[in-house]
Amino acid sequence: MRVLGQIWTMAAKDLTLTARSTHSFLTTLFFALLILVIFNFAFQPGVEATRLSLPGILWVALLFPGIIQLNNSFQREQEQGTFQAILLSPVDRGTFFLSKCLSNWIFLICIDMFILLAFTVLFNPRVTLRFLMVVPIILVASAGFTAVGTLFAAMVVSLRAREVVFPVLFFSIIIPIILAAVSATQEILLREQLEYVGKWIQILVAFDVIFLSAGFLVFEYVVVE
Amino acid sequence: MSERFPGALELSRVTHNYGSVTALNSIDLALHRGEFCVLLGPNGAGKTTLLKILATLVRPTEGAMSWGGQFPERHQIGYVSHRSMLYEELTGFENLLFFAGLYGLDPATQRANQLCDEFGLSKSKGYKVAGYSRGMRQRLTLARALLHRPKILLLDEPFTGLDQHGYRTLTTVLKTLKSKQRTVMMATHNLKEGLELGSRILILDSGRLVYDVERKTISMSELEAAYFGNISQEVEGE
Repeated sequence: MRVLGQIWTMAAKDLTLTARSTHSFLTTLFFALLILVIFNFAFQPGVEATRLSLPGILWVALLFPGIIQLNNSFQREQEQGTFQAILLSPVDRGTFFLSKCLSNWIFLICIDMFILLAFTVLFNPRVTLRFLMVVPIILVASAGFTAVGTLFAAMVVSLRAREVVFPVLFFSIIIPIILAAVSATQEILLREQLEYVGKWIQILVAFDVIFLSAGFLVFEYVVVE
Repeated sequence: MSERFPGALELSRVTHNYGSVTALNSIDLALHRGEFCVLLGPNGAGKTTLLKILATLVRPTEGAMSWGGQFPERHQIGYVSHRSMLYEELTGFENLLFFAGLYGLDPATQRANQLCDEFGLSKSKGYKVAGYSRGMRQRLTLARALLHRPKILLLDEPFTGLDQHGYRTLTTVLKTLKSKQRTVMMATHNLKEGLELGSRILILDSGRLVYDVERKTISMSELEAAYFGNISQEVEGE
């Protein structure tokens, strides 16, 4: 219970800080909307090729803006020295990692819901109960992105070239999550039968567990000087 | 050494390298309970690295550290670095409450209020830290470091950037800690303030401990002579 309390204390602090300096939320959201608008201009509406590309368009819009937030996960802590202050506290390093994952995940989910809304407005997919099945896929896939992104953000936080290093590391590891998420979305948006959606979600959950566990275990070695 | 000084914080043959650069070279040191130890040395002498090792933030490349025969636990240590280690967008009170939560202090509000009173921050505790003066930040930083009643307090140049008022306030706070027999290690460049506050003076040079003396046995001129190269005393225990 104490660990859960510590996770929530740290995540609530991160969310409070995000709410008080709205620029990161607005910048990320603006970037996502920009991607969707560009795709909207690039693809002709109502054409079959556009319809077939919708899952890919959605995931590009969901994925790329998230990098801004994930890459900056520890930036504020590093700049203000609070990273060390937390490491000095008796909080377990793995607990610190999980709290950062939780706050990043909540942030991404909030952004993702706006992106999904903009996506439906701009690309006009048929909004049915079936379409809403995309939401749990976003929730599960975002957890995996967050776990990997949070771990790598901690690894590169003191690097000068972190803006370059982070995406390279991040994308090379999350390929399985992207494939599973896009495949599940394809099935929901494009196919008649929902034959494999459950399987894809199971794969995403498995990746989430693997990446969260790995991050929890190795975080101690990532943050030590 | 642990039999001689039970409960002392001890470093044994501690060496730390940053790549090919040796920041600390085989340091042997025992910090006794209730001692106000002042660590002097030029830039790059290894003061910050030594404090970070004592704070458990850095693992030494070689050697060992112990507190009463065991590796020190983090809740026993309070650390004030060059930076304030505070969240700018949170109020002073929120900062204290947050860290009190991490240390599992109960009731956290009471302890945070108590420290705000002690450090003269009661009126400003509701303002965001971003609006604090350097002196106010430093007092809040010290309050944060003392929040969990640590057994040892490590201070890395706490006077840097303070105006006269802030300097005087911090000196008063540190003198109070000294009178309460808190175990403190403070790194500083300033010989005068080191001599004024310390009960033991150490000089670190190029990663080596080159001077270790009881405060009451030396004068300012002797300390100056030692600091600027005329070292007359071998390190204790060597």
